[in-house]
Amino acid sequence: MALSDFLVTDDLTILLGLIAASVFLLYNLYKPQSLVHPILLGRQSDVGRVRNPGESAVHRNYGTGLMGRFPIRPAREVQTLNDLVRPEFDAPRTLWSTKISNPQLKQRVASFGTGLLRAGLTKDSNVLLLLNDSIEFLITDLALASHTIPSFTLSSPSLLSPVLEQHPPTAIVIDAGFLPSVLELIYESHEASHHVVIVVGEPKGKALEEASKQIKLVRWADIEAEGERGEQITTPAADPNDIFTVSFYEDTSGQLQAAQLSHQNITAGVTAVRALLPLSNPMSALDTIVSAHSLSTAFGRTVAYTALYEGTSFATLQSTQLFKVDDGPVPTGLPDLFSPRQYSLPSPTILFVRPTHIDGLVSSITRHAKDSFLYPVAWRHKLAGIMEGYSTKESLWDRLVFDNARAKVMGEGAATIRGVVVSGEPLKADLLTPSRIGLSVPFVVAHTHPLVTAPIFASHPHDLQTFAPPAGGHSDAGLAHVGPPVVNIETKLVGVDDDAIAKGDDPVGTLHVRGPVVGRILTVEEEVPAENEERWASTGHLARAQTNGSFKVWSAAK
Amino acid sequence: MASFSLSTPINTALLLYILYLLQRILLPRTSVPAKPHSEFKASYSWMPRAHPPTLLYTTYTPRTLAPFNGLGDAEGGGRILLAIAGTVFDVTAGRSFYGPEGMYGNFAGRDASRGMAKQSFDIEMLTPIDQPLDKLEDLTPDEIENMKGWIEHFSNKYIICGQLVENDAI
Repeated sequence: MALSDFLVTDDLTILLGLIAASVFLLYNLYKPQSLVHPILLGRQSDVGRVRNPGESAVHRNYGTGLMGRFPIRPAREVQTLNDLVRPEFDAPRTLWSTKISNPQLKQRVASFGTGLLRAGLTKDSNVLLLLNDSIEFLITDLALASHTIPSFTLSSPSLLSPVLEQHPPTAIVIDAGFLPSVLELIYESHEASHHVVIVVGEPKGKALEEASKQIKLVRWADIEAEGERGEQITTPAADPNDIFTVSFYEDTSGQLQAAQLSHQNITAGVTAVRALLPLSNPMSALDTIVSAHSLSTAFGRTVAYTALYEGTSFATLQSTQLFKVDDGPVPTGLPDLFSPRQYSLPSPTILFVRPTHIDGLVSSITRHAKDSFLYPVAWRHKLAGIMEGYSTKESLWDRLVFDNARAKVMGEGAATIRGVVVSGEPLKADLLTPSRIGLSVPFVVAHTHPLVTAPIFASHPHDLQTFAPPAGGHSDAGLAHVGPPVVNIETKLVGVDDDAIAKGDDPVGTLHVRGPVVGRILTVEEEVPAENEERWASTGHLARAQTNGSFKVWSAAK
Repeated sequence: MASFSLSTPINTALLLYILYLLQRILLPRTSVPAKPHSEFKASYSWMPRAHPPTLLYTTYTPRTLAPFNGLGDAEGGGRILLAIAGTVFDVTAGRSFYGPEGMYGNFAGRDASRGMAKQSFDIEMLTPIDQPLDKLEDLTPDEIENMKGWIEHFSNKYIICGQLVENDAI
């Protein structure tokens, strides 16, 4: 047969040809556009051109650049901690269970500060805060900062006795429920240095009378009431570089360390935290922030002050209660995540949580989503979108499958949550894809350290890159990357293998940081700074710099 | 009468193609490659092939610095370095000035402190390699200021990649 017999065409050919052309166009042009261009994800940090032997080059955020200055405050007039409470913002918002506006908060802070000064505290006093996260903590902190009286906080109750021995405070502010458990310690240290104990809440029955025989006990509410009467005492504003708090924590080798934080550390931290979420939808007074990080830690403090600055409602989870007021078990995972429901808080919109909460939340959502028969197709389509760099909460598959699952797990929160920041422990890489699909909101993986007020590293909120676990069995093989350094910190790795770097491997070493968000360690010896430059602080964690400028961080195996 | 015949080769081919495309649209590919792509055009999830190049901060003596004059020796490798007041700058990017044919080519691989201070490119400004480093004691304050200005200019424009010490200090 001739060739022309094979190539016979008829009307059906034309019809099929048109259908084929339109399906082809649909297939090629229907690809969704990525939320962030992949070229930006290939150069996430600005790397120095020179490095010292045995160290890696200095890495900074690509937006800041090597020559750029670090932003140290969210606005020009925010110099100290008290400036973070903006007086012109007078809409009320809920802090834990108290509805309060900024002018009212400033008024309470001024009264409490005056009361403290009348009770006998001076600029040279030190005040130890043994409070669980609450509005009283914030008011006490702001009042002490406004009168330049340093405060001490502990990241865990086991540090109480070493701190009382080595750094005896002038006053202790403590929760009534926690007082009975530490009376012994306080009696001992009271013999060494007489101090005042300020109690928040009502201690039960006999504890109060017994204690008042041995130590000077005052009620928190009484101090505030005293301060409201008469003239308010004001103090000149502090210098931003003044230390306003010392945060005691245990480092990776189990030693007690003291991080001295200044006003500038916190304002710089607030600047960095505000930049974590996409700029197209920044934090505003309509948000509600929920945090799993205690106010006694540097990062937890910064999250709370960011919430104060932006005028959002704020609460912390029950697991942040360091000082147990009762013998009940500490909730973990999902019940902990939903613990702010006990407050009359609006539904949370931004979460600052830990990997355990994400694990519980995402596995629960996936379990409920599997009830739907469309789940395999929906999962496949959402995953294909993520492979292209695109994710949205309003797609067809969300409406059919995932919205139901989210509503069953989170209730009202399913519709309101619009951003999640995970930090505290390293996040496992195989949790990334289920989180991105299950939550479908900007998801930031961050790395924090007790010495640094902002996260050291934070991934791009729209970063949806997915990589297979690397071969080779490194200690960090199963971990998710934490992105580049944040906008106002610089990092370098010390103790790297120069030969490996010359061959082209990733530098792996101990992480050192420097910048306006890094506090100063209190050392026993007074070291005179050698040059004008700030010194590098060692975090004690190991890190790897990847070729695209993102990092993976982990603790050295003990 | 119009004929509709699916068994003709072209129609079958077109039909199969349409079915293939529909299958790709309804059941998209979602595999993650074992080794990430190294170009952003190839895939959204990509990783650059190599780290940006970095120089190692090295301590030089006048003898070890001399080969870096841009003439392409085995030791120098085409890099051009010059030193001002103990700081070594990598000026390979300014080959047109500091290279062999450049106006200031005398400074390549040498300690250029005196020349920068006195604003002169003569050979007399350079100290021979075997002698100790120029102490710059007889410079006037103006000349020291001028030299500091040049250090500022070089720090912004070029890379600081080492320090210069005496010949027997290493």
